[in-house]
Amino acid sequence: MFDKLKKALSGAAKSIGQKEISEKILDDTLLDLQIELLESDVAQEVVDDLSARLKKDLLGLKLEKGQDASQVIESKLQEIVAGIFARAGRLDIVEKIRAKKEAKQGPFVIVFLGINGTGKTTTVAKVGNLLRKSGISVVVAAGDTHRAGAIEQLTQHAERLSLKVIAQRYGADPSAVGRDAVDYAKKHYIDAVLIDTAGRMQTSKNLMDEMSKIVRVVKPDIKLFVGDSLAGNDTINQAREFFQYANFDGAILTKIDADAKGGAAISIAHLTSKPIAYVGVGQGYDDMIPFDPDKFITSLFGS
Amino acid sequence: MFDNLRDGLRSALKKIVGASDINEELIDSLCKDIQRSLLLSDVKAALVKAITDNLKQRAMTEQPPKGLSRKDHIVTILYGELARMLGYSGEVITTIDKKGIDDDPGVTAFFKPGKQNVVLLLGIQGSGKTTVTAKLARWLTKHGYRVGVIGTDTWRPGALTQLKMNCAKINVEVYGEEESKDAVGIARHGLEHFKPQNLDVIIIDTAGRHKEEAGLLQEMAEMHKVSTPDLALLVLDGTIGQQAYSQAEAFHKAAPLGGIIITKLDGTAKGGGALAASAATGAKVMFIGTGERIDDLEQFSPTRFVGRLLGMGDIKALLEMA
Ligand SMILES: Nc1nc2c(ncn2[C@@H]2O[C@H](COP(=O)(O)OP(=O)(O)OP(=O)(O)O)[C@@H](O)[C@H]2O)c(=O)[nH]1
Ligand SMILES: Nc1nc2c(ncn2[C@@H]2O[C@H](COP(=O)(O)OP(=O)(O)OP(=O)(O)O)[C@@H](O)[C@H]2O)c(=O)[nH]1
Ligand SMILES: [Mg+2]
Ligand SMILES: [Mg+2]
Repeated sequence: MFDKLKKALSGAAKSIGQKEISEKILDDTLLDLQIELLESDVAQEVVDDLSARLKKDLLGLKLEKGQDASQVIESKLQEIVAGIFARAGRLDIVEKIRAKKEAKQGPFVIVFLGINGTGKTTTVAKVGNLLRKSGISVVVAAGDTHRAGAIEQLTQHAERLSLKVIAQRYGADPSAVGRDAVDYAKKHYIDAVLIDTAGRMQTSKNLMDEMSKIVRVVKPDIKLFVGDSLAGNDTINQAREFFQYANFDGAILTKIDADAKGGAAISIAHLTSKPIAYVGVGQGYDDMIPFDPDKFITSLFGS
Repeated sequence: MFDNLRDGLRSALKKIVGASDINEELIDSLCKDIQRSLLLSDVKAALVKAITDNLKQRAMTEQPPKGLSRKDHIVTILYGELARMLGYSGEVITTIDKKGIDDDPGVTAFFKPGKQNVVLLLGIQGSGKTTVTAKLARWLTKHGYRVGVIGTDTWRPGALTQLKMNCAKINVEVYGEEESKDAVGIARHGLEHFKPQNLDVIIIDTAGRHKEEAGLLQEMAEMHKVSTPDLALLVLDGTIGQQAYSQAEAFHKAAPLGGIIITKLDGTAKGGGALAASAATGAKVMFIGTGERIDDLEQFSPTRFVGRLLGMGDIKALLEMA
């Protein structure tokens, strides 16, 4: 990914005789670096933050003999990005559910949130599939009572996967649907409740308030933000607002199979310090894999 | 820090408005600010560079037309460059006055009288095709066209129900086959079904797909061949980032595009991906989606889209102040 950057850097590095990293070389190389990150769909705001950190850490740094400015800058950036994911930690949903199951503390409840069309409903089905395969019993809740066909969509997924689905009619209060599902799970000793919700724009105060209410009423163990990996700068606006309204515990990034570079992962983790739990890699039920920060960084930096 | 395109451009142009002399240094600094603003709006990085390179070159060499100050001229150049990128092919833009250049004939220019015009909607998963199908049917109905809809999404559970629920609200008939897995066959049957009816436009909704799904793109190519659409429209998610260009390009190859609809602009997305999609395909933005409701569709022309992208009203006010 950083070929252009490397070239720019090696050129500039020679010109300063490799003594120390000056403001000029940093500014020049940062520009290239910023463009590379933006081209991977890291939000501009995050790129700015990373640049500022790089600058603070490296400005005036004395280079050892034989040390290459380009390598120093690149490994610093890599370190900063790794730090973001380290701070965000990891989220192993299956393990968490098992722990609660073993402690006999009732069903583990997950609510899925995000803007329109990112893949929430499909992801509910994928997670349901994963849990069932891991020996965890599941009930799904059709908490999108708003969008045409949403209830049928989730119901068909659930039927194919032999999962119990709790649904009401269109226009029903989504919190009530969620609560119904939790009650059902308690009564039938089901391990996990997955609650689908309607897509909503972070700019719609009514819908965001409705989402807060769902969270308040069903008191989920975790809330997952489902984001589209093809999104660019808007990711940061979405993540900020959803985090503020629902304080989500982690994210799932969908549609990575569309050749998305995945910069959204950095944006979300940087902004919220919450981990990316899974990425969606297709439309099938098995098309979801755990997000591996190390692998991601390696592929981003190509080393 | 959260400056958007408009703020960015406004502050960039403030520098110009306030300057006593327009020189290269000033134009360079303007270009840099514009680059930043466009990148923030998700315009593809390579395009951003092309736009500002052209801007600089023209700003340095062209004489302003009579009646325009150099400052007005620079803004006009930028406006024109962006509009051109978006598929505007009208006369050279010499004014930033909206009224003067908003002459785009729009979607209906593609329709021929006395036949059933076919509109094919395509796009990435979740971009808004099914919603737009109903919105467009509504828009056309309101403009006096008689419309039929075909649902060919054999992939997504509930897709046909979704389409039928949406179209029931507007009394538009939907042809679909719940059990079939043959999308191209459904399109063919649908067209046959509607043939005896007195309709002006048939809209075909399709399953979502992306550039890495070769099989689905092949299906799209076949669908295009079978339905011979008068207009193929790419439905693009307004939040899309740098992938817009290559995705649009792949769609255009499978089914040549006549226009673009950009959705979800009621959020905070700037929709700069449209610029890349236009540049990749030569197709124009015809409509924008501004909400989930059936009436949340606005007709758009490239020049109006640029106006929105740039916050033209503000820029005009700014220039008038100077
Ligand atoms: N290629 C690909 N498609 C996906 C992925 N995840 C979801 N999709 C598709 O994206 C489309 C939208 O998915 P949904 O699950 O309906 O999205 P949603 O967020 O529930 O949408 P709303 O409820 O309308 O807000 C569907 O066609 C899914 O099949 C993925 O990882 N890869
Ligand atoms: N806020 C907002 N939501 C929109 C807009 N257009 C579509 N949507 C929503 O986006 C989501 C996806 O829309 P669909 O019409 O199902 O998208 P699609 O392209 O048909 O999806 P697939 O068939 O799965 O590929 C739904 O929740 C729609 O209500 C818009 O302009 N604004
Ligand atoms: Mg859904
Ligand atoms: Mg659809």
